[in-house]
Amino acid sequence: MSLTNLALSGKHVLVTGGTGFIGSRLIERLAIEENAKARVLVHHPANAARVARLPIEMIGGDVLNPADVERAADGCEIIFHCAYGTSQDETIQRRVNVEGTKNILDAGLRAKAKRIVHFSTLLVYGVTADGDLDETACRKPFGNTYSDSKLDAERLALDYIRRHQLPVVILQPTAVYGPFALQWTVRVLERMKTGRLILVNGGDGLRNAVYIDDLVSAAVLAAVKKEAPGEAFLISGDSPVTWREFYRSYEQMLGLSDRLVNLSASEAKALYLRAKKVKSILSEVRALVHELPDLRRRLLSTREVAFMTKSARRLFSNRVWSRLKSQISVYGPTAAPADVISQERSHLLDPATIDFHAAKTRVRIDKARRILDYQPAFEFSRGMQLTERWARWANLLGPTHPALCQPTRTDKLAAG
Amino acid sequence: MKERIRLALIGCGAVARIHHLPAIARVAAADLAVLVDPSLERARELAAKYRPRRVVRDYREVTDEVDAAIVATPNYLHAPIAIDLLRRGIHVLVEKPMALSSQDCEQMISAAQENGAVLAVGMEMRFFHPCRFVRQALSKNLLGRIDSFDLRAGVVSNWPSTTDYFLHKKQSGGGVLIHYGVHVLDLLLWWLGDCAEVSYRDDALGGVEANCEMKLRLRAGASGTAEISRMRKLRNTCLIEGEHGSLEIELWDPDGHVYLKHGDDLVLNGCVGAGADATRESAPDVFLRQLVDFVEAIRQRRAPFIPGLEVLPAVRLIETCYASKQALELPWMISWPDQNGYQRVA
Repeated sequence: MSLTNLALSGKHVLVTGGTGFIGSRLIERLAIEENAKARVLVHHPANAARVARLPIEMIGGDVLNPADVERAADGCEIIFHCAYGTSQDETIQRRVNVEGTKNILDAGLRAKAKRIVHFSTLLVYGVTADGDLDETACRKPFGNTYSDSKLDAERLALDYIRRHQLPVVILQPTAVYGPFALQWTVRVLERMKTGRLILVNGGDGLRNAVYIDDLVSAAVLAAVKKEAPGEAFLISGDSPVTWREFYRSYEQMLGLSDRLVNLSASEAKALYLRAKKVKSILSEVRALVHELPDLRRRLLSTREVAFMTKSARRLFSNRVWSRLKSQISVYGPTAAPADVISQERSHLLDPATIDFHAAKTRVRIDKARRILDYQPAFEFSRGMQLTERWARWANLLGPTHPALCQPTRTDKLAAG
Repeated sequence: MKERIRLALIGCGAVARIHHLPAIARVAAADLAVLVDPSLERARELAAKYRPRRVVRDYREVTDEVDAAIVATPNYLHAPIAIDLLRRGIHVLVEKPMALSSQDCEQMISAAQENGAVLAVGMEMRFFHPCRFVRQALSKNLLGRIDSFDLRAGVVSNWPSTTDYFLHKKQSGGGVLIHYGVHVLDLLLWWLGDCAEVSYRDDALGGVEANCEMKLRLRAGASGTAEISRMRKLRNTCLIEGEHGSLEIELWDPDGHVYLKHGDDLVLNGCVGAGADATRESAPDVFLRQLVDFVEAIRQRRAPFIPGLEVLPAVRLIETCYASKQALELPWMISWPDQNGYQRVA
C-alpha cells in the first residue's frame, strides 16, 4: 500500500542503479505500491531480470555518458540516484560515483526535476566515535575509495543545492541488509561459508543497520515531503545492534557456530599489518580459490589434478600422503585450522574499519522522523527473519533439494 | 549436391559472434555468403574476421544468393523470417525458441514440407552427449516405468547479449520460461514424452517473469516439478525416478555428469562421451555438430537431428503455461502495511 497516499501515482520517475539491490526494491515499491511510472537506466541488460518483471520503462545507458543520462531524465519529475561504482578498478569506481553524480545533477537541472533523491552513505562521516551521531557531525574521509568518492559525490550535491537551488535530498543510510544486499548479506554469508570473520573486541561495537524496505520507505518519503529538499538525513533501523548480534544472525542462518574470530582491536591491526607486508601471488591465488567454491570445484575436477593426485598417491608413503591430503583439504570448507589467525581465510579488516567496528556509535534518526515522517517498520530480528527466508530461496544457505551427481565430483579428492 | 552450401547468417548478436560464426568457419561445406543485421556496423565488425561476400541490412536483398540461412534474430522475428525463407525453398536453422506460438511453429513446419526445405531448430542441448545418453537409457526402458521427476534450472547469466530483447514481452515472447525454460522443457519432454496436465506459476507483474515453477503430469503417467530462474543459482540438474532406479543429469553443461543407479548397483557416475575415443566437449563442439548436421541434412535430403515437429510439444507447453498462469509469491515481496505505512509488519 502507498506510503504517500499515492502522491507519486502517475508521476514519471527515473531510477539510476535500478538493477542493483536498492534500486530494484525501490522500483518494485514505486511501480506496485506507489503506482508511479518508473523508468530505469539499465547499464547491463543481463542484470535487469528482476525489474523487467514490472511494468516499467527500461532505457539502456551509462551514468558516465551525459547524453544517456539526459535522455533518461527527460520528462521525469523525480530522480532517484542509486547508481554507484562496483568496478574492481578504483579509478572507474570513483568516476561512476563522482562524475556519474555530476551527470545526474546536471540532467536534473536541465530537466527541471522537482526532486532528486541522492543515495549517499553514513561513511561520509568517516570513522565515527562512541556516542550519538546526527547530521550535524563533521564530514571527513574514511580512507577507502568507495567512502571517499561517495563523500565527494555528496559534496557535489550540496554544491548544486547551494549554487543552483536544485531540490536534492541526501540520504545517508547505515549498513543496508536484507534480500539481495551484496555487501551486508550475500558477502557475509559467502565469507562465512568459506572462511571466518573477525569480531573486533568481541563484537561489542555497535552496528547501525537498516533493513532494505525501511531505506526504500525513507526514499519514497524523501521524494514527496515538502521540507526535505536541501537536507541530508541519516537513515537507520530503530536502534543499533552489536556486531556480535549482527554476525551471529548470519551464523545461525547457516547453522554454524565457529565462523567468528574474537580479536582485540590491536590484535586485528597487527594481523592486518603482518598480512600486508608479505603478499605473494601464491597466497592471493589460494585466497581466491577459497573464496570461489565453483573455481575450487572446477580446479579439483580437472584431468591434471586427478593425474597429480593419482601419481602422488603412488609416490608417497601413507603417512606423507595423509599429511599432504590434510594440506589439500585446507582448501575445503570443512577444514578447522588450529591457528585461525594465521589463515588467510580470516577476512582481514584495515585499521580504519577496525576502529569503525570497535566504535559504539548510535546513529540518530530523529531528523528523518521529524521531517520525513520516517519510521522504521522492521526491527532487526524481523529484518533478519525476512533475510533468512530470502537467502533460503536464493540457495545461499546450502542445498535444499537432493543433488546426487554433484557431490561425487567435489569429493573426488577428499575421498581419494 | 556436391557444391558448398551458400549460407546467410541473419542476426549478428552474441550467439552469432560466439557460436555460429566460429562453427561456420570450421565447416568446409558451408560457405558464408552473407551477414545480415539492421546494424551494418555490427555486421561489418564480424565481417572483418569472417569475410562473407556481402553484408546487408535486410535478408530480403539476398534471398537469390543463398541456399540456407541461420536465423539468430530476437525471438519475435524467428517465425516471419523463417516462413518467408522456407517458402522460397531456402533451408533454415532457426535459433531457440523456434517461435512464440505453436501456430507459428505449425506454419513453419508446413512451409518447410511444402517447399522441400530443411527446418532445423537450434535446441543445442539435445546434442549434448549426456542428454542423448539419458534419452537412450530411458527409451531402452532402463529405469522401467517412470514415476517422478524433479527439474531445477537457475542461473544468473552474464551472457553478453547485444540487445535487451529478452527483457521485453513483445520481442522475446516472455521471460525466463521461454528464455531458459524452452531448453530444459524440450529436454524433459524429449526424454519422458509429452505433457498431459500442467499448473504454472510465475512472478511477472506486468513485465516478463524471472522465476517460474510448474507441476506437470505426463501422458505416460509420471509427475513432477520444474523450477526455472534467471535470478538465482539453482541445483541445475534433472532427477528422474523410475521403478528400477533413478538418474540425475547436470544441465547446461555439454560435458555434464550423469548419475545413474539401477536397483542397488551404481551403474554410472561420471561423464558420457561418444565413440571409443570419447573426449570432453565444450559449447563450440556442440555448435559445430549442429551445423554439420544441418548441412548434411540439406545434402542428403534427410530430416535434421532436431526437426521442427519435435520441438512443437515444448512450445505448446510454454503456451499453455502462459495462458493458465497463476501468481508466484516471492519471499521478499511482502505485502505492505496499512495506508500510513507505519504499521509494523507482523
